[in-house]
Amino acid sequence: MSRGFTKASSLGLASCHVCHLVSPVAEGHCPRCGTAIHLRKPASIQKTVALMVAAAALYIPSHLLPVLTTVELGEVTHNTIVGGMLSFWRSGAYPIAIVIFTASILIPLLKIFALTWLCLAATGRIRPSPEFLGKIYWMTELMGRWSMVDIFVVGILVSVVQLGNYMSITPQPGAIAFAGVVILTMFSAMSFEPRLLWDQLDEECALGEETVNATET
Amino acid sequence: MIRGFNRRWRALAAWPRPRGGTRYSACHFCDTLHEVETVAEGDAARCTRCGAVLYQNRRASLTRAAAFSLAALLAMVVMHSFPFLVMDAASLRRNLTLFGAAWSLSQEGMPELGLAVIVFTVIAPFVLAGGMLYVTMPLIFGRSMPHARMVAKWMYMSEPWNMAEVFLLGVLVSLLKIAKLADVEFGIGFWACGVVMVCMAAAVAGIDREELWDRLEVAET
Repeated sequence: MSRGFTKASSLGLASCHVCHLVSPVAEGHCPRCGTAIHLRKPASIQKTVALMVAAAALYIPSHLLPVLTTVELGEVTHNTIVGGMLSFWRSGAYPIAIVIFTASILIPLLKIFALTWLCLAATGRIRPSPEFLGKIYWMTELMGRWSMVDIFVVGILVSVVQLGNYMSITPQPGAIAFAGVVILTMFSAMSFEPRLLWDQLDEECALGEETVNATET
Repeated sequence: MIRGFNRRWRALAAWPRPRGGTRYSACHFCDTLHEVETVAEGDAARCTRCGAVLYQNRRASLTRAAAFSLAALLAMVVMHSFPFLVMDAASLRRNLTLFGAAWSLSQEGMPELGLAVIVFTVIAPFVLAGGMLYVTMPLIFGRSMPHARMVAKWMYMSEPWNMAEVFLLGVLVSLLKIAKLADVEFGIGFWACGVVMVCMAAAVAGIDREELWDRLEVAET
């Protein structure tokens, strides 16, 4: 096993997700806050993958469809997220273009890749160090919310730029798809169980020790 | 009187231990089991295997959490009373508020997005700051309000959905977008939202989750 370290799960103990109290999992609910407790989140990999695939699928329309439409003096322009970013870049507003690029293009993609990687590691298909993966997991949980910035921009523009015939802005379906990407990746990261990464490592150590013992005898 | 004194003393003493023998703490990454030991104020207990923080004993935790959540709630009132952006264009003046943005989205046929804006920028921050105040304020006096456990649970569940700071960035990006079209300036609501963001972060970081629940348990017995 894991050289002198006792796992809570090996004693049938589980830490509550909400209040962190360690109690026997047989009780079913945390005695302190009433939340359901599990040794490991049930069907964590399946849920993570399902939500992540849904997010990846929505990522395509979210960037192909316009997020908002500008009507300026009768002239209609459809704006996608990438288009908005490029117009900032061309007008020389580099910092803001980089912020939009990071928040709406890079972060969702990185999150989808990171979750794929975490799921592969948790099922033992690849073997990076769990400490490193723990940091990746922590980052995915922390970063996801910032992608929401584009949805807020759409809401703000739609609310403020209503100048009658002169100029008006309306939201478009791309915005819903993008909000879907952000919310689905957040749920996906929440359903991932980081303890599976260490379980995998322990299993491999145990297997390694067994083979060593087998060759010695 | 003695009883009241005891309660007060208990609340001011650092991080009380709930009764019922040895407590355990399990690491959230590697699930290694540790016996809970008292750590000095300002120190953190780390997992012996992977080094992740198990729990931290924050300085002046209860007073800080209560004070910052109260400040966040007051700033929230200001945030909702004043516009985030004021725009003057074509002899029209338009104000941006959170409810206004959500309302326009639902008027333009996207009520889902309007709802998302309200949930992430109004409801989640309110549940977080309000819940924190509801739980920590009475704990300063060694007491607890009815349903405090349920409130604390909801407070911690709303935490990842609080996006006040993301909205602030959104206002900044929008300002740069509109600046070419019209005269725009920040309203008081924008600065108040900044205060909400800082106070909320300070309130949540002010008290360790485990300490809050331990204190709640002690106050209720």
